Amino acid sequence: MSLLEARDLSVTFGGVHAVRGVDIAVERGELLGLIGPNGAGKTTLVRLLTGAVRADAGTIRFDGHDITRAPAYARARQGLAMTHQLVRPFRDMTLAENVSLAAAHAVTARPLAALLRTGRGAARRRAGELLERLEITEFAGRGAATLPLGVQKRLEMGRAIAIEPRLLLLDEPLAGLNQTEAARLADLIATLNREGLTVVLVEHNLAEVLRIATRLLVMVEGAVLASGAGSEVMRRGDVRAAYLGESRAGTGEGRGARG
Amino acid sequence: MEAYILSLVVFGALNVMLALGLNMISGFCGQISLGHAAFYGTGAYAAALLSISGLPFAASLALGALVAGALGLVVGFATLRVREDFLAITTMGVGFLFLGFVRKQEWLGGEFGVAQIPSPLSPLGFAVLAVGGALAMVALSLHLRRSWMGEVFRAVAADEDAASTLGVDTARYKLWAFVLGTACAGFAGGIYAHVTGLIVPDAFDFIQSVTILAMVVVGGIGSTWGVLAGAVLLTLMPELFRFVNDYKLLIYGALLLAVMRWSPSGLAGLAALVRRALRSSPA
Amino acid sequence: MFHLELLVVGLIWGAMYAMMALGLTLVYGLLRILHVAHAGVFALGAYAGVLTANATGSLWLAVPAAIGVAAAVGPLIYRFIYAPMLSRPPYVALIASIGLFIAMEDGFRLLFGPYGLPFDYNPWFVTTYSLGGISLNVVQIAMAVSTLVLAGAFGVFIAATRVGVAWRATVSDPQMAQSFGIDPVRVRYLNFAIGSAMAGAAGLLVGLLNNLVEPGMGAVVSYKGLAIIVLGGLGNVPGAVVASLILGVVESFGTVYLAAVLDRDAIAFAVLIAVLLIRPRGLFAPAR
Repeated sequence: MSLLEARDLSVTFGGVHAVRGVDIAVERGELLGLIGPNGAGKTTLVRLLTGAVRADAGTIRFDGHDITRAPAYARARQGLAMTHQLVRPFRDMTLAENVSLAAAHAVTARPLAALLRTGRGAARRRAGELLERLEITEFAGRGAATLPLGVQKRLEMGRAIAIEPRLLLLDEPLAGLNQTEAARLADLIATLNREGLTVVLVEHNLAEVLRIATRLLVMVEGAVLASGAGSEVMRRGDVRAAYLGESRAGTGEGRGARG
Repeated sequence: MEAYILSLVVFGALNVMLALGLNMISGFCGQISLGHAAFYGTGAYAAALLSISGLPFAASLALGALVAGALGLVVGFATLRVREDFLAITTMGVGFLFLGFVRKQEWLGGEFGVAQIPSPLSPLGFAVLAVGGALAMVALSLHLRRSWMGEVFRAVAADEDAASTLGVDTARYKLWAFVLGTACAGFAGGIYAHVTGLIVPDAFDFIQSVTILAMVVVGGIGSTWGVLAGAVLLTLMPELFRFVNDYKLLIYGALLLAVMRWSPSGLAGLAALVRRALRSSPA
Repeated sequence: MFHLELLVVGLIWGAMYAMMALGLTLVYGLLRILHVAHAGVFALGAYAGVLTANATGSLWLAVPAAIGVAAAVGPLIYRFIYAPMLSRPPYVALIASIGLFIAMEDGFRLLFGPYGLPFDYNPWFVTTYSLGGISLNVVQIAMAVSTLVLAGAFGVFIAATRVGVAWRATVSDPQMAQSFGIDPVRVRYLNFAIGSAMAGAAGLLVGLLNNLVEPGMGAVVSYKGLAIIVLGGLGNVPGAVVASLILGVVESFGTVYLAAVLDRDAIAFAVLIAVLLIRPRGLFAPAR
């Protein structure tokens, strides 16, 4: 059984089919690269999976449970974490506080417990480990809004990992980073995946995706066009055609495009 | 003279409770409410009617807070899907709805309100009770800020959707904020009803809501000590400067405007600036 | 007949609300500010009108006075209050606006007395016409007509003039508009001037209709205006007009049929809350 399985997912925004009839299965342990030209519906698909957008039709199963109607927070509790394409830190909190809050998910799941407890120790330790891991410890005490984009991207990832997910959906984590930064963050994603975390990576930086993904899924115009090993998929004529006009595709250039 | 001071103490303490309660909702959790007086009124009416029906004072107070908190839960629930500007207007609407409803209810005394509410305590007793209640709410507010709930509130205030991706049931937290904040107002309302012995609908109008908001904002939205200072300051101001009384609304309005214009984080923000300046300049 | 009369009276009130709500929704559409102090401008227009009329003995002179003073003050409010707050969270401008409005209201009370100023001479109030058996005075007719004219003129302005097109472009995409050489700041001033002019006219008409201009006259209208623009879908101009008319009619019938449960001024909010429970972004909100 796949870890995540979506069948026939569709959603329409103001008459436009953003995602139409998508079937997608994410296997345990894989690092699935989700690519496609701008407007292909990748971000919408991620938002459907995390519950930020409700599907008009279709079903989503996570680890055997039907989560199609589950709200975003319930999906997160089941182990579905995400990062946002445009970073969304809690702006008036420090970096450490941002990640600590996520690390305290066992407490914050129960409001009464959250009201009674003040101890920050365990969550702060866990957050400290993650910051170490993400190599952003030096920024721990800084206000999240004042950090450089590269750090904010890592903050997003740290927050997502802190809820101990089984599946991590990354929406263009490399966008806006320079080549060195992008490569290092991609390495980190690959390492997390090797350690057992299943990852879906939506990304425009094809070079990095091809380098670290264990499988590729190509979306075009709201539908899945192709799926398979990276080199195979990229050789297909229809995939190449879909990318024609995407002049920067394949160059690995960082960009802040919308998906 | 002594009676005057005691009543001033009572009203100051009531304002502290109201402002701290609103601050839990709007300051901590970021849910702007423009109808806080409705919950103050609910507590006052509930406690007054219960007392008149023969219930002991303490039970009436507790039930008044409970009824206000329950109404807060209902309003919170009804407004869960409404955000920011829509929420501000909806809560303002709740205030008008409360007033429009109460004015027309014969069993609530209509325009004339409820009179002959028993007065079980001496003026000194009321002052002690009110100050005790206010201090308890200061303690609650400080604890709330330090608790994980307070931390979640900050996150919800900053970015609700991002908070929910971390497994936080933001709706339930918002309801908690509403219930805690409105119960505080209801408790204050119960004391108010028994202190004055007479309540009329107009005591809980939009201007009252704005006055509470003014205390929160002048003190510094989100800061317990700031809000405490704001409530005390705005209670004392008309008393200290007699002329202020005639221009009370003009000054409240101008103060709201001036604080928003030049120091949106209020007295607390100014205090932080001063502290920082003192620290950085070699003394 | 009775119901028809309720309907007509309701529509006339609705027309007055529409004149208020247009300004509010214009400001919201452009700046995302809930401009509570718009009601202060409304009352200011009424005061300018009554003072002029009583000083000169001419109601006709009161019209430009009300509109002119309001149209001058609106942009000043933008310049000195809202403009410096645009980068702050939305509640900052909202609270400032409430503060300004309360201060203005109290200012009117202190300057012109708590009981308000009646018109010395108000022939429009006493001259009535019978239309299909319903008797209306000139002020009521003027209210309906001026709303029709203003709303129509505004529609033409938006659709057909250069400035109107610039205005629309600025609302939908300020940066794009700017790159086409439209100065967004000028559009904002214009926005405040037009919206405030309408509020001033509405204020004068309400003053004439009650034959009294009083300090608190803006309050209820202001809060209802906010309810209306939320109902109409914030920033949605036609939505605001339709919501105004609906509210006017609902209130008119409500004062007869709901009088035992709710007072007139609470009806708007009862409708508002009921609608928001079903459609959290208003009746005519655009899809996502």
